[in-house]
Amino acid sequence: MTSTRILARRRLGTTSAPHVTAPPRRRRRTRGFVQVASTAAAERLRLNRFGHAYVGVGAVVIALFFYLALAAQITQSSYDISRLQDQQRQLIAEQDQLRYQEVTLHAPAQVQQQASQSGMQRVVPASYVPGQLVAIDLAAPVGASPTDSTPRWLRAVAVVVNRIGGTRDVMAAGNK
Amino acid sequence: MFVVAMLLAGAVWSRLAYWQVAQHGRLTSQAQAQYREYVELPAVRGAIFDRNLTQLVVNTTVYSAFVSPDQVPSNERDRVAQGLATVLGVDKTKTFATLETNAKFAYIARRFPKTKADQLSALKLPGVGLEQETQRSYLPGIAPGTTLASNLLGFVDWTGNGNYGLEQKYQAALAGTPGYISSFRDLANREIVLGTHTHQDPLPGSDLVLSLDANIQYAAEQALAAGVKTDNAESGSVLVMDPQTGGIVAWADYPSYNANDFNHTDPAMFKDNVLGYVYEPGSVMKVVTLGGAISAGAIAPNTVINDPGVLSVGGYRIYDWDRRNHGNIDYTYVLEHSLNVGAMKAMQAEGHDAFYKNLQAFGLTQPSGVDVAGESFIPLPSATQMADAQYATASFGQGIDVNMVQMLSAINVVANGGKYAQPHVVERVGTRVNPVLLQPQRQVISADAAAKMTTMMQAVVQNGSGWTSRIPGFQLDQCGKTGTSQIPVNGQYTQDVWASFVGFLPAQHPKFTMIVVVRKPHYPGAEQDWTMNDGYLTAEPIWQKIAQTIVVDWHLTPDGH
Repeated sequence: MTSTRILARRRLGTTSAPHVTAPPRRRRRTRGFVQVASTAAAERLRLNRFGHAYVGVGAVVIALFFYLALAAQITQSSYDISRLQDQQRQLIAEQDQLRYQEVTLHAPAQVQQQASQSGMQRVVPASYVPGQLVAIDLAAPVGASPTDSTPRWLRAVAVVVNRIGGTRDVMAAGNK
Repeated sequence: MFVVAMLLAGAVWSRLAYWQVAQHGRLTSQAQAQYREYVELPAVRGAIFDRNLTQLVVNTTVYSAFVSPDQVPSNERDRVAQGLATVLGVDKTKTFATLETNAKFAYIARRFPKTKADQLSALKLPGVGLEQETQRSYLPGIAPGTTLASNLLGFVDWTGNGNYGLEQKYQAALAGTPGYISSFRDLANREIVLGTHTHQDPLPGSDLVLSLDANIQYAAEQALAAGVKTDNAESGSVLVMDPQTGGIVAWADYPSYNANDFNHTDPAMFKDNVLGYVYEPGSVMKVVTLGGAISAGAIAPNTVINDPGVLSVGGYRIYDWDRRNHGNIDYTYVLEHSLNVGAMKAMQAEGHDAFYKNLQAFGLTQPSGVDVAGESFIPLPSATQMADAQYATASFGQGIDVNMVQMLSAINVVANGGKYAQPHVVERVGTRVNPVLLQPQRQVISADAAAKMTTMMQAVVQNGSGWTSRIPGFQLDQCGKTGTSQIPVNGQYTQDVWASFVGFLPAQHPKFTMIVVVRKPHYPGAEQDWTMNDGYLTAEPIWQKIAQTIVVDWHLTPDGH
């Protein structure tokens, strides 16, 4: 089987390397399609000196373009950051102003002005009724029910009526 | 030859040592100044709230306009000057002259609001810039051009330093700690992004929560202004205190100033007369004298003395205010009618040493220590240096100088069951409670003596000079005492007076203690009779108006009888 390299040499008329007795060849692993294709492309695209220069310049130009694009992006971002920072400062200033307005609206001076504009007047009590002191027995057991003075027959009637008609609470709960 | 070589080498070495060792620090700092950039990040100043968390001070953003005249083309100068004059109201001719100087930088107007800054930005004037600055804005006061509690709060100047009052006293806590950005610059003054870059965030200042009540403060300022005008007085002050804690509820001065416009204010107006003005308290002192004497067991409210209207002490004849012979009277009557002879006899019954210790215990011989900047204090001579006549006059409040905070704190001892409550304005700094509130209060007079003094001060309102302070519904349940003392000038007492009234209510469960001082009142008709300037006609009505507002605002009711 003639390899691609040997065919290329034959086509270009180049002499092969002096024949040397090759060591016993080991069986090479089968090369993959990508390897074969890339090797073929590289051999077909073998460039002369100018070609190398063009590729070099092209690479530099591409790198330059990348750099410029990146720089433009960074510059744009820094402009955006500056603009947003400025906007933030403006908003903080506005917020401060609104805060002051809010606080001023609650200030006694403003409240009084609004009240007087609305025709309101401060009422001064003329006299006070002193509250009666109520003794609370804190030692008394909690929940002790007061003595029920309802007659026994009335309680019995109430039990029957509640059973039939339901209590107000029950009715209220049922209406929910 | 060798010596010459050594000398030359020594000269070179010494010069090297000079630059590398002696001048190391200076050169390092100079070098750093060239390549190091340090930008300070200002800290947000803490806010100030009253007891109901009403904000009393707000940080706002203001703008300053500057020009770079060398960047303004000559054909644009007129438009720029016209624009600045229209928006900022500055003088066009002066601005035009500034633009012609070709200077690098000049301020045109400082600290104007955002609305004007927006208008100026819209004009897009060449060479004109705006600078943002932070400013403290205070709540409006009782009249246009005044701010609420300005004498108590003080103000913050353009460099960020607190001046006067709480702003000065709590400067360190309020100001916070500024942060910084430290980086390196190249020769073209551009930041080296990948160089060492230090960033420290600023620590904002702590907020203050006061014992002040903004509504009561406003009412006090209003009543005081009206009263000082009615009395044709030079000035007046009001101080209201919480009897149990010593927290200041209101602190008002008239005349006052606009803290939002401090740079256009006469510096004399900045002085706070509550704390920075010492005066002779007059008969208000009788509460201290009698309270101490009762506590010491030297007298009782019903102890009978003879008051001929005059007493000779240390070669001086000292009179009662009315120069009348009152005959046999008790000490309740002495307080009701404010008789100097009775006060002197109480002091004599107690003794000089005990009386002096009494003054010390009531806090009248040292500064009050209230947490507001600018306390004035005149120390009393030592006990041994005081003459008999000085003891005598001190017993009724002449010849002894105090400030209002000292005097109110002393009277508050009676309202607080005989205990001294340390006066203070700030309840919390950030989340930290004022340590004063956690300290035990010292017992000055016995609770029994305080109760007796309370009853005697009630009698002053019911039967004596305190009648103009009566509040409907509280007539039987309020305590008070007037004070009127002549003002000395060059060692001679004049006809000008300090008129004052101090009181508290409800009598048995006091919710506030208040003192009003009016300086140099000229009450209508006082030309014929100078006693018309007395505290009961000048200071007391102001006290009554403010007390009435507190009763309504705080929903106070009298004790049952």
